[in-house]
Amino acid sequence: MSADIVIVGVNHRTAPVDVREQLALANGKLDDAYRDLIDPGPLQEAVVVSTCNRVEVVAYADDPQAAAERIVDFLATQNGLPRERFDAHLYRYRGREAVQHLFRVAASLDSMVIGEPQILGQLKEFYARAATVGAVRTVLHRCFHKSFSVAKRIRTETGIAAKAVSVSSAAVELARNIFDRLEDKTAMLIGAGEMSELAARHLLASGIGTMIVTNRTFDRAVELAREFRGTPVPYEHFPRYLPMADIVIGSTAAPTHVLTPALINEALHERKQRPMFLVDVSVPRAFDPAINKIDNVYLYDIDDLADVSEDNLAERQREAAKAELIVEAEVNSFWHWLSGLDVVPTIVALREKVETIRRRELDKTFSTMKDLSPRQREGLEALTAAIVNKILHAPIKHLKRHDPQSESFVIDAARQLFDLEEPEDKESK
Amino acid sequence: MELILLPLVLALYLAATVGFVTHLLTGREQLRRLALWVLAAAFALDAAAIVARSLASGAPAITSFHDQLSLFAWLTVGIYLWLQRRYPLTVLGSLVSPMAFLFVLSAYVFYSGNRDFTRSPNNLWLPAHIAPAFLGYAILAVAFCISLAYLLQEQQLKAKRKSGLRQRLPSLETLDELNFRFVTWGFALFTIGIITGSALAKQRWGAFWSWEPVQLWSLVTWLLYAILLHTRLTGWRGRRAATLTIVGFALLVVSFLSVNLLSAGRHSAVG
Repeated sequence: MSADIVIVGVNHRTAPVDVREQLALANGKLDDAYRDLIDPGPLQEAVVVSTCNRVEVVAYADDPQAAAERIVDFLATQNGLPRERFDAHLYRYRGREAVQHLFRVAASLDSMVIGEPQILGQLKEFYARAATVGAVRTVLHRCFHKSFSVAKRIRTETGIAAKAVSVSSAAVELARNIFDRLEDKTAMLIGAGEMSELAARHLLASGIGTMIVTNRTFDRAVELAREFRGTPVPYEHFPRYLPMADIVIGSTAAPTHVLTPALINEALHERKQRPMFLVDVSVPRAFDPAINKIDNVYLYDIDDLADVSEDNLAERQREAAKAELIVEAEVNSFWHWLSGLDVVPTIVALREKVETIRRRELDKTFSTMKDLSPRQREGLEALTAAIVNKILHAPIKHLKRHDPQSESFVIDAARQLFDLEEPEDKESK
Repeated sequence: MELILLPLVLALYLAATVGFVTHLLTGREQLRRLALWVLAAAFALDAAAIVARSLASGAPAITSFHDQLSLFAWLTVGIYLWLQRRYPLTVLGSLVSPMAFLFVLSAYVFYSGNRDFTRSPNNLWLPAHIAPAFLGYAILAVAFCISLAYLLQEQQLKAKRKSGLRQRLPSLETLDELNFRFVTWGFALFTIGIITGSALAKQRWGAFWSWEPVQLWSLVTWLLYAILLHTRLTGWRGRRAATLTIVGFALLVVSFLSVNLLSAGRHSAVG
């Protein structure tokens, strides 16, 4: 069993929002949680990442299988949730796949709206917290920093980031086509997600007057309201506040439509038909598409916004493909480094072991044959050194080859054949 | 003299129309500015034509059909030029210019020469009737253009069109608020026109109200605008308000044309 990077978690594709919400962990309250996660083993390093669209633990462990189980237990106990409640929604990644997953997350390729820029900042915050409590050492340090640089590289080398920005600025542009000014308008945020937060931020920057925030978890609503200088309202009561909203941004993963034509008609009546602009960034949609047929109501979903903004689909897909290629290349280079970490101590241990044997045997010989001249002694030293080097040449060459398919097998084989000690705590290096 | 000026005015209105519409479709900024200057020139020249006709007949050129058509166009363009200085509404020029063109074209077609005014007694009620009524009509004409722009913008937003035309049109809120303000002012002046008109009728024909076609049409149109303003207070805004404004203006034009062209009533300005 060799050490490996493991990722266990849920995201917006594998788990519905109510499951994600129940699993969510606040970054500020993680300090004790990390002790729980690491101290009993088998995890050596761990970073918890929890955003609206994902809850996952990235870990480095000697026993990846046990580590994955440990993470599932951790998620259950932290949230007081039975395993069965979320087990079916979990994904588990190991090795290269795990690295690739992390890089894709950082580069916003795994986001609900590909290219949205917030995830990188969130990832950095969670990483920083883990680093402060000492849960991060060599491997995850390197892995996360690499993921940040990959994200930056993708941002500058591809046009992928332009999409998310263009989508939310399209929403603001449309708001300006409907409303003369935004200063006296009220926006309501139903649910939270990377994209809806981005749109809300754009609206704030454009001078929206008031912000109302509602979320299934009221704490989250309060948190967001603080961030957006808005007012939190309990989720059950949001229809009561709907008539106040000129702009409604929806981002929920509810199985049914959160806004229905009946609800909107009621609100419009109370608003005396003042127009409403509805932006639905949820996938699947949270607002009934039939709402767009109502007079004075303009409903746009995420695809509409993308269509309305100037860039075209084919170009976006090309950019996404380019980004995936960058991820692939960076995963390779990181993997090369990580594998090297296993190879180098093995080679060192191998050399040390053989050198120790040679030294001991040589000392034995010298102590029995005391009449050897210095020249003869030098000759014996050179002879044994040459033999040892000749014998080690082939195995070390194989170890250094870095063939991902056979690498761990070769390392294991070398350790067993030469009866090497397990490498001591690598992370301390 | 006035017949030399009118074709020139017509050509300028047409040029402004082409400029504005091309700007609206392509977004070329120089065209918008150019069209605005051309429209302003047309406005000045139209004023000169009205003055020339008034000088030729010795009285304000406001009573014959072609005079009224030309006055209507001139006032509408004037109100628009004033409006666009205060609001980002240059795009409305692409609706106002062709309308002015059509009215001046009709004036040219129906030109019936100078009128001999010695028959009519010099009467204060006549300008007191015509001035507010025509100013009201012109304001309602601009409200009509604003409503057309509203429907166009609404359609762009509902159909989720790419930006472009949508970005050059004013916001729905701007158009809706202006529409309300213009209909209110237009309606007020229209009401004054009806009151002074009935005073004029009393003086000329001995009765305030005589069920003349123009009076009836005006009453119907007046009622429609009254309903529009009333329902607005109860929440009829946006598309419905715009549609009613358009219907109201259509009634206005129909009554103005039919009374002048078809009816043989005493009110008729022709002949």
